[in-house]
Amino acid sequence: MDVNSFMEGFSIAIQPINIVWIIIGGFLGTIVGMLPGLGPATAVAVLIPMTFGMNPVSAIILMAAIYYGAMYGGSRSSILLNTPGDGSAIAATFDGYPMARKGMAGQALAISAIASFIGGLIAVVGFIFLAEPLASFALEFGPAEYFLLMLLTLSAIVSLSIGKMVKGFLAMTIGLALSTVGIDTQTGIYRFTLGSSHLSEGIDFLIVIIGVYAIGEVLYNLLSIDEQRQEKKKVGKVWFSKEQWRRAKWPILRSGPLGFIIGVLPGAGGSIASMISYTTERQLSKRSSEFGNGAVEGLAAPESANNSASVGAMIPLLTMGIPGSGTTAVMLGALIMLGLRPGPLLFDQQPETAWALINSMFIGNIALVIINILLVGVLVKVLDTPPKVLYPMIVVLAFIGTYTLSYTTFDFFFLLLFGVIGLFMKVLDFPIAPLVLALIVGSDMEQNFRMALSSSNGSFGIFFSSGVSIALIALTMLSLLYPLAVHWMKRKGQSRPENQMYKSS
Amino acid sequence: MMKGIKLGVPIFLIVFSGLFFISSLQLPKANLGNPNAPLYFPAGISILMLLLSVVYLFQELKHAAKDNKEIRQLFSGRTPKLIAATIGLGGCYALVFDQIGFLLSTAFFLGGLLFFINGRKKWLINCIVAVSFSFLTWYAFSQLLGVSLP
Repeated sequence: MDVNSFMEGFSIAIQPINIVWIIIGGFLGTIVGMLPGLGPATAVAVLIPMTFGMNPVSAIILMAAIYYGAMYGGSRSSILLNTPGDGSAIAATFDGYPMARKGMAGQALAISAIASFIGGLIAVVGFIFLAEPLASFALEFGPAEYFLLMLLTLSAIVSLSIGKMVKGFLAMTIGLALSTVGIDTQTGIYRFTLGSSHLSEGIDFLIVIIGVYAIGEVLYNLLSIDEQRQEKKKVGKVWFSKEQWRRAKWPILRSGPLGFIIGVLPGAGGSIASMISYTTERQLSKRSSEFGNGAVEGLAAPESANNSASVGAMIPLLTMGIPGSGTTAVMLGALIMLGLRPGPLLFDQQPETAWALINSMFIGNIALVIINILLVGVLVKVLDTPPKVLYPMIVVLAFIGTYTLSYTTFDFFFLLLFGVIGLFMKVLDFPIAPLVLALIVGSDMEQNFRMALSSSNGSFGIFFSSGVSIALIALTMLSLLYPLAVHWMKRKGQSRPENQMYKSS
Repeated sequence: MMKGIKLGVPIFLIVFSGLFFISSLQLPKANLGNPNAPLYFPAGISILMLLLSVVYLFQELKHAAKDNKEIRQLFSGRTPKLIAATIGLGGCYALVFDQIGFLLSTAFFLGGLLFFINGRKKWLINCIVAVSFSFLTWYAFSQLLGVSLP
């Protein structure tokens, strides 16, 4: 680790203005993340405009704070309303909601905040030691390796759509097709622009993201708007007992590193991390029969794993420029727009930016645990806001966000179009992450593919010419075989309650 | 309607991927390097999309009669009206945004959405939220974040 860059990053992260952004981002992320039906991806998408006009370092710090603030927030609605914001918060409903029903909502919220905090800290330490070596390793990658890495990321994220692989691949091809619109950077040829100058630079993926996530989610929620009931929650004492801490500490410490490792893997992310840690703890626990009925271990473990996975997921994003999840894909889009190009060169050319972000994660985790414990009363009040008032406000924020991207109302029509596409994707049970990820990496994937072939005079042997390439191909094959293995295990009668995760991931 | 949506989407995707494939083949030739280079990737994607759409169609044919609660909800009660109103008001917002300015257009847009979604009986809350939220967002973006709004 480069100590000078680390210290420089630390001094940037502790600048008062950046601490203010961390607190604001964490607070707003928590609020949007805790709104039922709105996950971290939507939180980041809706709040992106806040970063406009800011210097890139503060912007990336703010966005990261929104991201893990939303991860914290997702668990609030899981515990209090049994409504997870996204796949990674599902495991918090298994024991968090039963705890809340037993009148222990405050304890559950406190355990969840502390577990997330410790999981996050463990992951930040891992980040410090892993990020730079990985970035140096990625510097050796040529176009063929980059193409294969993107292929692995896409196949991994589709493979997680257990039971709907065809839909996942279809969503991916739609994203890749959209990425081909605009000028071909290698030849200057206009492709699929329909004669419109608005399309010459391609379809702005941030508009697609805001459309499918924010507008799509709101339209989807309109399906059941009259059935959504306001549930007044009594939080009670917001701290846990010594006995609860004794039971929770080892699951937290075990799940943190586990979540981090899973988070680093492309495509895996918080959903898988929280589920694996939940099942691991259930198997290890002497109280496995209590799991599902309010076991404190069953809440602490997935909360620690899911937050550490969210930090781990930033590693492939920052060191290789490859987002590993829908939310990090949204962040990549925003970073590119801010003029930052995540990838191995980030650590080489702008080490202070990278290290400022890593240091801000430490501060952010401390800020979030304070926000989530001290301000729990205020946060819970947000859940009292009627959805019928809340959703129109989110629609307005989505429109403002879109306007600030290019200052043209022409994009509002695209926003609405992708909102409707997002609605139909949700109704027809299509996974959205493959579309978003494919749209973001599609252009780079094509350019790397063509550069690799040009360098080998058209020979496909270039994709098998290095150990890294072969390893990436093997991992891609394994990720494609993973759903078959799950299907086989299910048929062997090993299906478990956590399979509900697959429906929603 | 249920069957129409379930089968209509894969058929639409088949037609779309077919058109995409034809458009890929009609792309202009490049003057630099391999003249066909710009078409390989989109053509490959369209073929993959076409194959997947056909598989999807067959999957849907198997379950065409099976009930899907969410598709049913899409056309029941006031849902179609709410979705149409959101899209319609969004379109109107796009048309008047530059003409009448951010504050007025946003207050009308948000007020309209609240009128449809929250109901006309809550007109007072709707008006207060529409005006105050429009002002707050204008202040936050325009004054605090320095975003130029009409």
